[in-house]
Amino acid sequence: MSRDSAPAFEERFLEAFSNAVGVSGGEESVRTAVADAVKDHVDTLEVDAMGSLVARIAPSGRRRGPHVMLCAHMDEVGVMITGIESDGRLRFRKVGGIDSRILVGQVFRIGGNGLRGVAGTLPPHLIQRADRDKVAAIEDLYLDIGAASRAEAQERVAIGDYATFDTTYERWGDTRKGKAFDDRAGCAVLASLVRSRPPIPVTAVWSVQEEVGLRGAAGAARRVAPDLAIVLEGTASGEGPGLSPEESAPLMGAGPALTVQDRSLMADARLVDLIERTARRRKIPTQWKRPGIGGTDAGRIAISGAGVPAAVISVPCRYIHAPAAYLDIKDARRTVALVWHTLDSLTKEWP
Amino acid sequence: MLRAEERSTTEWLHHLTALPGTPGHEHAAAREVEKAFGLYADRVERDRVGNVRAWIEGRGAAPRPRALLAAHMDRIGFLVKAVEPGGFLRLTELGGFDPRTLLGKEVVIHSKPQMAALFGTRPPHLQRPGESDRVLPVEELYLDTGRPEREVRRKAVIGTPVTLRQPPVSLLSGRMAAPAMDDRAGLVVLLRTLESLSHDRPMWDVVAVATVEEEFASICIGARTATESIDPQLGIAIDVSHGDMPGAREGDTVPLGGGPSLCVGGNIHPKVVDGLRASARALGMTVQIEGCPMGSGTDAMDIQIAREGVPTAVIGIPCRYMHTGIETVEPRDVDRCAQLLAHYLAALPEEWRATETLK
Repeated sequence: MSRDSAPAFEERFLEAFSNAVGVSGGEESVRTAVADAVKDHVDTLEVDAMGSLVARIAPSGRRRGPHVMLCAHMDEVGVMITGIESDGRLRFRKVGGIDSRILVGQVFRIGGNGLRGVAGTLPPHLIQRADRDKVAAIEDLYLDIGAASRAEAQERVAIGDYATFDTTYERWGDTRKGKAFDDRAGCAVLASLVRSRPPIPVTAVWSVQEEVGLRGAAGAARRVAPDLAIVLEGTASGEGPGLSPEESAPLMGAGPALTVQDRSLMADARLVDLIERTARRRKIPTQWKRPGIGGTDAGRIAISGAGVPAAVISVPCRYIHAPAAYLDIKDARRTVALVWHTLDSLTKEWP
Repeated sequence: MLRAEERSTTEWLHHLTALPGTPGHEHAAAREVEKAFGLYADRVERDRVGNVRAWIEGRGAAPRPRALLAAHMDRIGFLVKAVEPGGFLRLTELGGFDPRTLLGKEVVIHSKPQMAALFGTRPPHLQRPGESDRVLPVEELYLDTGRPEREVRRKAVIGTPVTLRQPPVSLLSGRMAAPAMDDRAGLVVLLRTLESLSHDRPMWDVVAVATVEEEFASICIGARTATESIDPQLGIAIDVSHGDMPGAREGDTVPLGGGPSLCVGGNIHPKVVDGLRASARALGMTVQIEGCPMGSGTDAMDIQIAREGVPTAVIGIPCRYMHTGIETVEPRDVDRCAQLLAHYLAALPEEWRATETLK
């Protein structure tokens, strides 16, 4: 394959991965979907001790370069069923960072058998006026599945079952709508990349448990022991009415967002510089992610073993960690191209 | 024999809750309601304000007394109030959603063609400390269509109706959650009542009215005007009642699956309630009694005070999580409300009147 032709972004992967259910610690369905998408294109495919999916792919031809770990996390934020009341209602707790205000009135998909539940609340008519403006504590919320007793509920639900937002992938214009774009966008970018043989040795990792403390990437990085790493993310874009340009960045549709620094990582300056120069050379628009916000698997990978130079390239997504997010398909395509051309640059420019 | 256009109660609830129809924009829903009522009624007509009226002719000698049944066709929603730079939309409310339940929800903007959108949420990563402790009132919420500002401005003109976009959800026990159960479930009660009365004719004429604009303003405009022109001797509204929910005080709710609830209080004529209770006994059906000290908050409020005054009752369908996107009912309750109503009307003596001549 010519060096100039980056692989295409496969939208069907984004759709399949977004619709799959995989709350942190319960990523099996997503892992199956990713494995199905890539197994015919990689040299080895393994599941590590924590559940991350690891695919190795040797370079085409004789070109040499550093061994690169590309990583995207499979898990999404959601809730876990933690109790079943005698009247059949389910108690739950958050898995990952969710604004409690988006839970009330939502529909959830519970477990793997299509069971639905609704997060009920007393209507404003029936509560004290002073309480109508209060955010309900997570402890006071419950899921109503229509069961009338604990026994009836237990036939369909077990403590520890996960539940996700009941959202279906859709498209209009360049916009794509779906749940869990953080980080199924990165998962789909990575699955699209490995369908072509890269110019340097690559190990692709689809990690588990990012949303509960960047946990899966630690073991995976140790096992892969790469020379450097690039993490692929769906990151929060900031647009909203009446916000300053500073608060609005990064913008959906304005190209891949590059990380300088966040709460987990000082991105490797040489690597970021190489990515940025590659983008300019290839005329791929990029933007900076606002420093100091969030954290990614790159923070764990960077401190793995003797240390791994790491960077993060993100597809900007509106409304992550909410029931439905938006992304611009152009940004996903540009991210695939940028990573591909960066791998190519590394053959020449990385010591 | 089931005709092709006939549906189960659950299917009717699916069909009718999916229709748009914020107050003042009920036309599309009215067309479907006309088709549905037309399956069983002798005559269906649309009146001047947009109510759909379906007539069952009684067996008694003309001129016959008339019973007016009302369930409202409109559903709560929003109107586009302003388009902000970036194409973000601000809304004004029609009918009072619980603002605590809107963040992150998907909606349909009823432009031509329609557009999907969602209530924007600031992700936790970008929030200021304490930001998530405050419930946002509707004025501070905004919609994002994910479309270019120019396109949004062209399509979503000021005043465009907006409804929640939440497909019906099937729960255990046959229960169903959807927006607009209030009061599309009441329309299904009317439909099932018409079906029953078309076989088992009452002495009275019965007019089932799918009313407009119950959720708007303090006057139920559709019910008021229908009562003025139909001149009924009896009026019964069918609407949702708060279903049992944890945390509610005793007396504020009625159990889901427990059958019809009957309001009592000043808005309700005790003689009508007596008759409905007698029918429930005859059917072996349990009913819940719901005290409504300040009125029922339904179409019955305006039916009662139209013309020279009309004896009224309210039949309530137990419904959890009212004024959210997950209004939950049990279809069995819908069927029972219709059975009760049909039995009462079929048994109503031709000479029954609430008025009395004492001397």
